[in-house]
Amino acid sequence: MSKKLSAFVLVVVLLFSFGFASESDGILKFGINTDAVGFDPNLVTAFASHRVLENVYEGLLQYDQDMNLIPALAESFETPDAYTVVFKIRDGVKFHDGSDLTVEDVLFTFERIMDPDFGSPAASYFKEVESIKSIGDNKIEFKLTVPMVNALLLNFASVNTSIVSRDFVEAGNNMQLKTNGTGPFVLKEYVAGNNITLEKFGDYYVDSIPKLSAVKFLIIPEEVSRVAALRNGDIDLVQIGEAMSLKMLTGKFTIYRQPTLSYYLIGINCDFGPFQDPKVRRALNYAINRENIIKMVAFGEGSVTGVMNPSVKAWALQPSDFSEFTYNPKKAKELLAEAGYPNGFEFEITTSAMYNFEKIAQVVQSQLSMVGIKANINLVEWGIFIKKWKEIDFNSFISLNGGSIEPDKQLYRTFSTTGSTNKFNYSDTKVDELLDEGRSAVDNDERREIYDEIQKILIEDSPVIFLYSPNNLFASQENVEGFAPMSNESLTSLKYTYFE
Amino acid sequence: MEFKKLWRKFARNPLNLISLFLFIFILLIALFPSFFATHDPLEMDVEYFMEGPASNHFFGTDQFGRDIYSRIVFGVQKSIMIASLSILFACFCGTVLGVAAGYFGGAVDLVIMRVVDAMFAFPTLILALFIIALFGASVSNLILAIGIVYIPIFARTVRGSAIALKEQLYVKAAKALGKTSFFIIIKDILPNISSVLIVAFTTNFSTAILSEASLGFLGLGVPPPEPTLGGMVGEGSAFLLSAPWVALFPGLIIAIIVLSINIIGDGLRDTLDPKISK
Amino acid sequence: MKIAYIIGRLLSAIPTMLILTFFVFISLHLVPGDVVDIMLGTQNYLSEEQVQDLYEEYGLDKPLIVQYGVWLKKVVTLDLGTSIRTGDPVSKLISEKFPVTFELAFLSLIFSLAIGIPFGMISAVKRNKIPDYASRVLGLIGLSAPAFWIGAIFIVIISSLFSDYILFGFVPFTKDPLVNIQVMLIPAITLGMMIAAQIMRMSRNSMLDVLSQDYVKVAKAKGLKNRKVIFKHALRNALIPVITTAGIQLGYLIGGTIVIEKMFALPGMGRLLLQAVNQRDYPVVQGIVTFIGVMIVVLNILVDVLYSFIDPRIELK
Repeated sequence: MSKKLSAFVLVVVLLFSFGFASESDGILKFGINTDAVGFDPNLVTAFASHRVLENVYEGLLQYDQDMNLIPALAESFETPDAYTVVFKIRDGVKFHDGSDLTVEDVLFTFERIMDPDFGSPAASYFKEVESIKSIGDNKIEFKLTVPMVNALLLNFASVNTSIVSRDFVEAGNNMQLKTNGTGPFVLKEYVAGNNITLEKFGDYYVDSIPKLSAVKFLIIPEEVSRVAALRNGDIDLVQIGEAMSLKMLTGKFTIYRQPTLSYYLIGINCDFGPFQDPKVRRALNYAINRENIIKMVAFGEGSVTGVMNPSVKAWALQPSDFSEFTYNPKKAKELLAEAGYPNGFEFEITTSAMYNFEKIAQVVQSQLSMVGIKANINLVEWGIFIKKWKEIDFNSFISLNGGSIEPDKQLYRTFSTTGSTNKFNYSDTKVDELLDEGRSAVDNDERREIYDEIQKILIEDSPVIFLYSPNNLFASQENVEGFAPMSNESLTSLKYTYFE
Repeated sequence: MEFKKLWRKFARNPLNLISLFLFIFILLIALFPSFFATHDPLEMDVEYFMEGPASNHFFGTDQFGRDIYSRIVFGVQKSIMIASLSILFACFCGTVLGVAAGYFGGAVDLVIMRVVDAMFAFPTLILALFIIALFGASVSNLILAIGIVYIPIFARTVRGSAIALKEQLYVKAAKALGKTSFFIIIKDILPNISSVLIVAFTTNFSTAILSEASLGFLGLGVPPPEPTLGGMVGEGSAFLLSAPWVALFPGLIIAIIVLSINIIGDGLRDTLDPKISK
Repeated sequence: MKIAYIIGRLLSAIPTMLILTFFVFISLHLVPGDVVDIMLGTQNYLSEEQVQDLYEEYGLDKPLIVQYGVWLKKVVTLDLGTSIRTGDPVSKLISEKFPVTFELAFLSLIFSLAIGIPFGMISAVKRNKIPDYASRVLGLIGLSAPAFWIGAIFIVIISSLFSDYILFGFVPFTKDPLVNIQVMLIPAITLGMMIAAQIMRMSRNSMLDVLSQDYVKVAKAKGLKNRKVIFKHALRNALIPVITTAGIQLGYLIGGTIVIEKMFALPGMGRLLLQAVNQRDYPVVQGIVTFIGVMIVVLNILVDVLYSFIDPRIELK
């Protein structure tokens, strides 16, 4: 009986997997939520375009799965001093039109990016670049005016610094519509609002990659529709926006979860009444139970984050190393009493109904009431929120910040006194000094020490209460293998993806 | 007495009486929510999160472990308050505009009715949503937004009655006697449109509750953590498949409230409007 | 005669539309946070000058009244402008989203007429008997239950009983009619519930009115069969006010679709409007408001004309 049953199950499974394999032909149907808005890699800023283009184009560097910078179109690179970086361009790389990648193409790409009339968002990365030149032997040298080469390196892995073909651009092709990259996939078809189809590039410089014959991105904006399409077997892989959608996908699906670099935060206006005292701000740190926020708001799909994302092992101090990240209402009350607020105080949390902000605000409000702090939620419309944020017109706010693997990029603009996203009225001369030092230091051990100290000061001062990083979620049919989302939300693992 | 006769007519239908008692009960809940609630509607409890109905949580708990029954009790209060204040507001403004347009006619009528038409040329929900989306959701803004979209309804109804009354002999007589317009409106016009107003008030009161609930459902109602019935359905609709109770109970309560008001409204119309009486 | 009437009605709608669009325009611009603020978000890398350039590019540096004038001038030439956020022509956005909203509204109107009229008629003919009470109670429930709650119940029931039914995942009718109808059916019924109830009540009242008229009584007295009287004489006259109700309900339908579109994740115009308001995408908001306004005006005129066809005695004035 049970033998019969298992034989039956086996047959069914075989039939099924056979059905899938023959149906898919190595074409991966991928449900995504947003359409691309253009294909010029040096120009577009849209997140959705980047996800497609990073599979079509490549830059000099790239990230590996653990977010380490590794060579891509550059075969190797070195930083002789804090002002200089030298890339050796890889041999035998072909563009999709069959032409070879040359040093000229690389030089042309950076000229294009830095041309002020062109308006590339990447132009600002290279403000401190003094010269770029070919130094023979397939090598290119970047010279800086400021000693900050380490902080510059990750820009070479940005989609916006992808290398384009000089001949192709100069032939007058509309780069927003046509592509000619060196990446593992070729853009084959684009139907606005419907699908983007990528085909395998046969001459990719790594053998037997990509494994799929094609990737078809299907644009399905509605979350439930996307999830339903996966359930019906219409698509193979799907992007999940809301953790609770996972409840609809029990059993025969593979779920991928990857903590992102972006993080939820409570931003504090350090000039507002009680918040002028760092003790009060630290008390908030102790009064908040981050695990419960993750459980109730994100259904467990997130992880506690510190000043740097804990997954960036090279730089981050782990939240577990600090008592501030452990829920401790008693300690919070002690700190409040020391600061002269034994009975708590009242303040306002300004936020908007985006990305679950209002849900986090409700939990925070409830948790703070346990230590006697009365938080009022001022829920405003998104446009008004941004206006208030810009003008520092709040006691505190709850929002989501993008993160980076590079401490300078993550911290300088957010915590230096003049930083463009320092909306906390936070100013600490020591932090300012350290941020400048970290920017120009070359030696990694030295940098590590500097950024360790900055992280400690920031947690002690608590101008920001770091909450958690949400997970980036995907789900696929069980026969999809090799796909692995990354913490910067990149989809470059598609080239390793295959059907079992 | 007049009132006694009307009451007898109203009470003849048992459905009317049941609905009336039901509605009085709902009013009691709205007036004394703390008496009916079993929990603090804002209290979160991570231990009991997304639990189904049970003896300690009659209607289960929501995403934050809050007691849905108690949130409904306080939500009823908010719904009734917002709907009644906004309809009072609409009734007042609509009556002023409608009487002015109907009684004075001419240019006053033309201007008022053009504005009223402009508002009619737009779906009420979208108009209310527009106002809330722009000015932010708060109890007072909700009352204002819902109130504004109901003004044209009252203005039109009242205008029609006012035009008819203006032609009545006693109004003409009063005019001939040199009474001021203000006096005539207060003394002769308003008392005679009161029954029309009562019926319009009841029917629009029930749709106002639905409007408030719809705005709440769209996330444009009273801001969290305050419970509102529509808002609770909106929050819960994301978990319909895993935790249906979160959305279904508040929705049921909305339906019951509106149903009782609608039946009372029907009864009132039959009682007060002799034309429709069967 | 009729054409003159239609032109007259259209002309008289112009001031109405002007008031409406002006009100929307001014309030949209007076609210804090403009399209550029929102576009830049909380990750602003641009310099002061670049930001200023953006304002100039979108023509937002001019006084409000001038901006309204510019918009109006374009509309007169049937140009609704382009979306600031996506760069798409507003007319393209509307033509993409409107079919969804229209299909939803249309299907639910059909549903509500198909349910409302027969039930209302039966109710009137069988007055004060069990079918009458049953349909009146059903009608009251239909009037009272919020659409989003009925939708929620449908979703729970259908997804637990018929797991193969495709509830979500809109597909255009032209692409896959079967899936399209499957996906649209439940939303349409949900939305149509309240109107079905209203139409039923209207049909009942109107039928009762007609049945008590002298000519019906006379016909009956002349020995005509009850059924024949109802179908030949009464029905036609009773339908007139029902059509008006249906016409008026179209406005509600368009508004109600917002809720249903959200509930069933349909990519319709309501969602486009909500999104555009949130992003302060001025041309899109103005375009949709104008479009809906004009549509309702036209529909109302159509209803009146239809009216005069059904009952030639009614004069258009």
